Amino acid sequence: MTRVIRIIKESFRMVRNNRLRGFIIILGIAIGVSSLTMTVCVSSGVYKKVMDTVNKQGPDLIQIRPGTDKFSGPAAGSREAVSLTEEDFEAIRQHVGNINAISPVKDRKEIAVKYGDMNTVTRIFGITPIWGPLRDFNASRGSFISEEDISSSARVCLIGQIVKKNLFGDKDPIGQAIQIMDVSFIVKGELESKGVGAEGRDRDDRIIIPITTYTMRLFRDTPLTQIVIKVEDTDKLYKTVDDIYSVLREQHKIASGEPDDFAIRTPQDLIDLAYGTSRSLIKVLTLIAGITLLVAGIVIMNIMLASVSARKSEIGIRRALGARKNDILSQFMIECLLLSLMGGIVGAILGYYGSIIISKMDVAASDLTPLALGAAIVSCCLIAVIFGIYPARKAANQNPVDILRG
Amino acid sequence: MIKIKDIEKTYNKTSVETRVLRGVTFSIQRGEYVAIMGASGSGKSTLMNIIGCLDRPTKGQYELDDINVLQQDDDALSALRNRKFGFVFQQFFLLERTTALDNVLLPLIYTNKYPADAIQHARKLLINVGLEDRMEYYANELSGGEQQRVAIARSLINNPDVILADEPTGNLDSGSAAEIVEIFGRLHKEGRTIIVVTHDRDVAGHAQRILELKDGQIKR
Repeated sequence: MTRVIRIIKESFRMVRNNRLRGFIIILGIAIGVSSLTMTVCVSSGVYKKVMDTVNKQGPDLIQIRPGTDKFSGPAAGSREAVSLTEEDFEAIRQHVGNINAISPVKDRKEIAVKYGDMNTVTRIFGITPIWGPLRDFNASRGSFISEEDISSSARVCLIGQIVKKNLFGDKDPIGQAIQIMDVSFIVKGELESKGVGAEGRDRDDRIIIPITTYTMRLFRDTPLTQIVIKVEDTDKLYKTVDDIYSVLREQHKIASGEPDDFAIRTPQDLIDLAYGTSRSLIKVLTLIAGITLLVAGIVIMNIMLASVSARKSEIGIRRALGARKNDILSQFMIECLLLSLMGGIVGAILGYYGSIIISKMDVAASDLTPLALGAAIVSCCLIAVIFGIYPARKAANQNPVDILRG
Repeated sequence: MIKIKDIEKTYNKTSVETRVLRGVTFSIQRGEYVAIMGASGSGKSTLMNIIGCLDRPTKGQYELDDINVLQQDDDALSALRNRKFGFVFQQFFLLERTTALDNVLLPLIYTNKYPADAIQHARKLLINVGLEDRMEYYANELSGGEQQRVAIARSLINNPDVILADEPTGNLDSGSAAEIVEIFGRLHKEGRTIIVVTHDRDVAGHAQRILELKDGQIKR
């Protein structure tokens, strides 16, 4: 048994002998570490959710909308709503580089759709075939809109899973005819399920049809509601956005200094939207974690200092019996580390459950990562060392004669 | 084995300079039983602390088995205390909430070579001082006489050259005191060097030689 192991054993024994001190230190550290664990769990959960959203919607995707709102577009019929045109689309396609794919989109919400006796109200999208791979929206059954559908303005459609449920229930919709605003369309496929998007809109509640059919059969001479662009090189995405701004401002004859009458949505906007209130929650949590860890450190320092005074005679006895200054320092540091580690473990468990509660309450997402456990262990060790070293040194530097004389 | 020459110790703790030891010279041979006597304030505890490497003199020379003690650093002094001396204090100085057995084993934490038979050895030492049925008692559960006997067992665990006892009977009733003195006599017969600091003539009477301190000097 080496000296180090003997001192570690002795530290364990002294930790057992000083339960109240141990309890207070563990409590202090546990509170600090639990809030840190919670912060890390919530941050990584939110980050994961944000990145999921961005990846689902495409990290290389740019969306242009009329009006000034990046997410919803202007109200139908407003002056802003007519600001995006087929000519704009052509101009961007011809003058902006770094474009991998581009699709014009026309859509309108709250459209009445009928199949036999069944009615529903949904959103209709007029799109081109490239829109599918662009938005990663594929046919789960049947086939997607084709170039022939576009050139012949075919009356075909694909329906989302919600629409299918509302109109067909369990029946197979493919090949059936449905009425969109009393125009008959053949269902040629079903869209795969996508769930709720970043804007909070259900992406399964929609019908897509060829954009040419949309214009000729449903809504004559309507402007575009979106232009969707997938960039070639993501690193140059913001340069491309700038190019689109200049092209569109020139198209719309907007004088410099005047505001845009269109909005460009980038993946960064999506990140901002997906973070929402979580960002300020994370800030508050981080602040709480920092304060509680600092308080935990001060608690440790106080308790350890009190412990050093209370255990003066013990220190003197050990020194008289042959303990070096370093042996005393090590003993007190190991005691402090041990208690902090126990506090760290308790804190990590509390923090984990705390973050689960936060995610259950739907305040923010939460995710237990090895990072959270690592942060808990590292932080409690750091606190033990930073705030424990001074009391431990004080213990080691006691003069044994002074102590023994009492 | 102990050679002390012209040792002086001056305290400057208050603004007044206190000269506790004013040139003390003596030597002690291996196997001797020596009592250091003196009234309180005569400097006998200070002298004992210096002999036990717990304190440093202001001036003078101290050789312990040809080691120049006063040139050693703090760690080396710790090692000397651990290896060469067994301490017995007036206030016993056992660790509370620690069993008699663990108290006896305490000095072994700080040795360089931990003996394989440490626990048997510690038990034997406790049996030798008559505490075979008190080994697992906490120190604070023992009487004063029992505590001091634990302290003596502890002082022997490292098989030291010298037993240094500072007023070992000062806090004990006469019966317990007699037992402690009896144990010292036995240890001396076994060949150990014993230095007892005391103001009690009866205790000092058991020693072979008495060094009497007065006003910081040895009275001849």
